[in-house]
Amino acid sequence: MKYFRETLYDSICQNFRIDKLYYENRADQQHLVIFHNARLGRVMALDGVVQTTEADEFIYHEMLAHVPLFAHGHARRVLIIGGGDGGMLREVLRHPVEQVTQVEIDRAVVDMALEYLPNHSAGAYEDPRLQLVIADGMDFVRKAGDHFDVIITDSTDPIGPGEVLFSEDYYAAAKRCLTAGGILVAQNGVPFMQPDELQHTACRMHAHFTDTAFYCAPVPTYYGGFMAFAWGSDNRELRATPQATLQARFDKSGLNTRYYNPAIHQASFALPQYMLDSLAGTD
Amino acid sequence: MGSRRRIVIGAAPGEAATFQALVAEYGSPLLVFNPAALQRQYHLLSNALPGVGLYYAVKAHPNAHIVRTLDELGSGFDVASAGGMEMLTELKIPGHRTIHTHPVKKDREIRDALRFGATTFVVDNPGELAKLVPYRDRVGILLRISFRSDHAAVDLSRKFGCGLDEVSGMVASAQRHGIHIKGLSFHVGSQCTTADTHVEAIEKCGELMLTTSQTTNAPLSTLDIGGGFPADYGLSGIDIDDYCRPLRKMLAALPDDWHLLAEPGRFLVAPAVTSITTVTGKSERHGVMWYYLDDGVYGSYSGQVFDHAEYPLQVLKTGDTRPSILAGPTCDSIDIIAEDIQLPELEIGDLVIGRQMGAYTAATRTRFNSLPDARFVYAGK
Repeated sequence: MKYFRETLYDSICQNFRIDKLYYENRADQQHLVIFHNARLGRVMALDGVVQTTEADEFIYHEMLAHVPLFAHGHARRVLIIGGGDGGMLREVLRHPVEQVTQVEIDRAVVDMALEYLPNHSAGAYEDPRLQLVIADGMDFVRKAGDHFDVIITDSTDPIGPGEVLFSEDYYAAAKRCLTAGGILVAQNGVPFMQPDELQHTACRMHAHFTDTAFYCAPVPTYYGGFMAFAWGSDNRELRATPQATLQARFDKSGLNTRYYNPAIHQASFALPQYMLDSLAGTD
Repeated sequence: MGSRRRIVIGAAPGEAATFQALVAEYGSPLLVFNPAALQRQYHLLSNALPGVGLYYAVKAHPNAHIVRTLDELGSGFDVASAGGMEMLTELKIPGHRTIHTHPVKKDREIRDALRFGATTFVVDNPGELAKLVPYRDRVGILLRISFRSDHAAVDLSRKFGCGLDEVSGMVASAQRHGIHIKGLSFHVGSQCTTADTHVEAIEKCGELMLTTSQTTNAPLSTLDIGGGFPADYGLSGIDIDDYCRPLRKMLAALPDDWHLLAEPGRFLVAPAVTSITTVTGKSERHGVMWYYLDDGVYGSYSGQVFDHAEYPLQVLKTGDTRPSILAGPTCDSIDIIAEDIQLPELEIGDLVIGRQMGAYTAATRTRFNSLPDARFVYAGK
């Protein structure tokens, strides 16, 4: 294989040159590939769809981790569902949280990422604050006795193994695992190409959170412009956290970021009109 | 009832020894795959249909050796089931080289196909189109048109396909739902003796695509001419280039920017597989010689029931012939491969060879009587 051709859409596709193939596996009806591309660094693709690349993963991980954590301001316990590549864990652990529980369905994903995508976790799996659970994310939130201040769903797309993490049952069960005023965030696809996904999530989350919203950021290798992130909380004020408050928290954290900053944080909740039109009538 | 079946009596020098050596090594019954024959068929058809992408109909013979041989030639694949996609996945064939052609699908099958990477789907009615609307941003649709052929051994336009007069309504409905119909497909039937229906179908679909494209801002640009290319069951030497000449002429007149594809199965794989069975018993009843073989219509010869095929048969000895019947191994009286045929007297242990047995043979065999399947033997280098 000299090129990786993405197979998401019938009439459009992205083609990536494979400069070195590190890993390819086709067990369990899943096709996982990790390769090096000259421009993007290491690229991981599952079932013909790019999941993450070293060059632009920071946009995705910073926005899905720092937006809820800085908005919350004093999250002690965080739950990550999925995220086996370790990038989300790395960003969450940069905050002074007490404990992070990560639920990954397949230990092999973590091992594979440690071996072939070591820059994603950057040592995060060694952190004593981590509790790694190998389990089905849906099962975990259904049975969990613990509560979390922030839950981050770092899943694959709804067509594929992540399907159940886009169901109303999941949002309901995850809500039950949140502390009062806690926040659930979740990756929600590229609305320009998948407008239905935005509508479905809005309807399904709306039943369980008093405040349901989306924010977005453009991740270059997710073709189609802005990626949307779903936001759900029963504390409406968190989404309206003043920029000065965010700035104070950000300054205090001492974090160096490459995409996130408090101005981007606030601006990211402003949605383009085509997304607002898709969402019209869903609340 | 006289049989039109082709019977070959005797063997070319060295031929009998080759078959006997295979049975000595692998046992009996066998299905022997010759990849060189498959490669030859693929090249013949590609050359006869320049500019047409060939998508092997995996259902004709869903076998990994066959698929791998075609993969190496750059073939595409026509899949109609999850099992077909699983096999392609195991062989590391990416979904973008496949089309999903079953006109009736469950939602789970659509999702699995998308996950596998197949984005081309076939529909023939508004209900099926509606099933794909949730995936409208990802899929490209081919509308399957029904053309009844008087010259096909198997009519594939009775069960599936919509009329030409329904196309404009379906295209308009698709546009309202924001889903893209990218073109038309048809199946003139299987084992066609002439290209007449093929030619008529290309002409009518081409005209309709052009007129529809003029009235819509979503042009139709893909034409899938299906399969139907004949296997040489009469061993008479079918010239596929000759057969395809009128198709080529018709296809050449279509716009240069259209995408053309075909779904050959039988033509590619039929001559690439040979059945070897062994006489396990014999008896003379009412003046007719009955020979009981270790493979039959519930096994490799199932295509005689499901596919209406009459495979050419060969015995390796020569001599005076007698009225004979070749029967399969099950207890069922319909398990008869051939009757009213003239054969030299065979002995227990003699081999009976079935030619042109690559398509819809092993694919449709049953588990009846719990008899073992004919072993598949790869006779490549």
